[in-house]
Amino acid sequence: MGAIVVFLISAIVALTMLAAFGILLFRRWYQERRRHADRDKLGAITRSYMRRVAGQLDEDAPPNWSDQLRLEAVSHIHLLLRGGERNRLMQMAELDGLLRATLRQSRSWRSARRIDAIRLLQQFGSEACIARLREIFARDPNKAVRLEAAFALAAVHALPPPRETIRILGMFERRTNRLDRALFRASAPHYTEQLALLLQDRISYEQRALIIDALGWSGSADVLPLIERASREDNAELRSSALQAAAKLGLPSVEPWVIERLQDPVAFVRVQAANCCASLGLRSAIPHLHSLLDDDDLWVGLRAEHALDVLKYQWPNFEAKGLLA
Amino acid sequence: MSFADLQLAATNTILFLAFGCFLVVAARNGVSLLQLIIASWVFATRTKPGRSSAELWQRYSDLALPVTVIAPAFNEELSIVESVKALLALEYPHHEVIVVNDGSKDDTLGALICGFDMESYDRPQIAVLQKTEIRGAWRSRRYPNLFVIDKENGRKADAANAGIGFARTPLVCVIDADSIIETDGLLRAAEPYMHDDGRLVAVGGTIRIANGCEIEGGALRKIGVDKKLVPRFQIVEYLRAFLSNRVANAHTNTLMLISGAFGMFRRDVLLEIGGYRHDTVGEDLELVVRIHRHMREQKRDYAIKFVPDIVCWTEAPANLAGLKGQRSRWQQGALETLQRHRRMIFNPRYGRIGLIGIPQLILEDVIGPPAEVIGYLVVPAAIVFGILDPMMALAFLGVTVLFGTGLSFGSLVLEEIQLRRTASARDLYRIGEAALLENFGFRQMNLIYRLRGIRSFLRSETKWEAVPRVGFNQPG
Repeated sequence: MGAIVVFLISAIVALTMLAAFGILLFRRWYQERRRHADRDKLGAITRSYMRRVAGQLDEDAPPNWSDQLRLEAVSHIHLLLRGGERNRLMQMAELDGLLRATLRQSRSWRSARRIDAIRLLQQFGSEACIARLREIFARDPNKAVRLEAAFALAAVHALPPPRETIRILGMFERRTNRLDRALFRASAPHYTEQLALLLQDRISYEQRALIIDALGWSGSADVLPLIERASREDNAELRSSALQAAAKLGLPSVEPWVIERLQDPVAFVRVQAANCCASLGLRSAIPHLHSLLDDDDLWVGLRAEHALDVLKYQWPNFEAKGLLA
Repeated sequence: MSFADLQLAATNTILFLAFGCFLVVAARNGVSLLQLIIASWVFATRTKPGRSSAELWQRYSDLALPVTVIAPAFNEELSIVESVKALLALEYPHHEVIVVNDGSKDDTLGALICGFDMESYDRPQIAVLQKTEIRGAWRSRRYPNLFVIDKENGRKADAANAGIGFARTPLVCVIDADSIIETDGLLRAAEPYMHDDGRLVAVGGTIRIANGCEIEGGALRKIGVDKKLVPRFQIVEYLRAFLSNRVANAHTNTLMLISGAFGMFRRDVLLEIGGYRHDTVGEDLELVVRIHRHMREQKRDYAIKFVPDIVCWTEAPANLAGLKGQRSRWQQGALETLQRHRRMIFNPRYGRIGLIGIPQLILEDVIGPPAEVIGYLVVPAAIVFGILDPMMALAFLGVTVLFGTGLSFGSLVLEEIQLRRTASARDLYRIGEAALLENFGFRQMNLIYRLRGIRSFLRSETKWEAVPRVGFNQPG
């Protein structure tokens, strides 16, 4: 291959690169120029929707506003509205056909695009959105997309019962992670009884601990006997989860068995018990926490020290101050 | 031996060297092109970060693994208070900040004590990893999550090790005290640990150059691009390194470097391997290579990830004098690491790290720089000896420049489409201009600095040249 040919090929490649870079620059320059105009339009769209939400006459809505700009405005306004006003805004957005593109996007062949659509559907949270989210959750072939749909459903308080969630996400067929824990917690207020029933299944200690932890987020005092029973199980993870659940529930009747766990033979349970005492503000635990300062396990000592600090600064009262002094 | 024989021998030597250099250059360019293609695929198919994760963290903040941010500081009296305020303001449910005053000669410690109302505190050190003496520990009365460790001067590795020893959280994030982490940086870095089933040991993020940006109160106010060429050339280099090289390497599980300016690690793993090494000038590269080695020797399943959306801004050398020290040190550090871990080279026991990751380092840091130098010398010699047509030599040079510029443009396109941390079209143009100009002078200067690093390595020099900083918010 002669030098001339190499030069020619190089020149063509260089020109192509230059053209590509020029397009990139022009694209950015054009977007910058449009930004001002779009900002004005966004302001007008926002005002228009606000008037419609308030039931006022909206005469000056021009038809040339793009769906994308409308969607951007609605995404912004919906964060500012609550209750009935928010519902009305979402209805209007649906009537204006803004969800059409999102619903179409939720069927894209690219999983990243489907996830983007899920985020928008979660934001709108209307019946149509929830129905589509459920469909994605149940049928999407991609696990990451199903998980995103699960979180979107949890955010709009529409997560299916725990057994369905476990089955669809295959939670008990793999090692559980923190996201699974978050989903169980999201389920707990709506499906407390179903979660309690799950404890009767033949499941591993790790899975049982996950459920006990979630019960703490149910906000129901009815789960206390279950949690207390878990706190006396042979398995240390279960005892630890029981303490986490008790800390979250924040009910004073747990005090005796939480303090009892400060003497637990397993160090991480003692750590969790110290945490729980701090969260609940258990003044009666102060002498026990003092004795844990010299625990054989360094982390227990550190956590006890932290718990005493919390009791001192965040739960101030004369009795505690006296004891801590 | 006749003159003709000598000429023939010289010709053959030149031909041999030229062919060898061509192979090395072709291999390096081939690897870079492959990395760009992989990175483009990763970016095209990835899920962009959304708000949902932040919402999740807010609701279940106790599920977020607590993080200790370790900021080694040396002679930072003027900026330390603002820098620490920015660290305290990072968005994260539970994070602690440990500033390690590494025997500063100025009043860095005094600035911290006054700035944050600190009191002496008897904080137990969980593991002693540092080689120097701890002079004291302090805690803030105003910010319960701020601690200062005062120690004798070591180096950054020693200061980071002291901080790791005092950390109590499962995750530690080691940064430079003068680095600026975007406010959601910790959240983004810790997010992979939420999906993790126990394999993930470290996460790295993108480092960007803060020269030309507006910094106020230790936080980034406005992104900009420096008018000077040296920082602009480095922007191009960093784009190639982080958006192409690291993304591709992380995708193929061969990530060999997490920058010292920002990295999040599992504390227990750092303790197992004894923290950073003190006897190398490239402690960040050495640490990651050692983690790979340790985990593979123990046959443990593990992962090291890179998240391009974590952006940490740092000041780069503003002139060639500063660049010289930095690049020599990087080169020396890479060679020291390769020497120390030479057992891993092409060793199937270390899987793709031994067979792909380390050889890639060798190509880039051992064979690459000398080959490039030889290439620059051999081509004129070949023209003189009449082996190479001058036009062909020029054409070859053109192709090389074009290839290098093309790779830089490719990384710039990824930046523009995916991250968009360039403020305006004008800034984009400036970076594009630097991508072309760096081929004429800057690359060659860089090569000289790297050769200097090789010399320091061969002489076993241990001197650590501090990179002169202009400082943020300086006029001009």
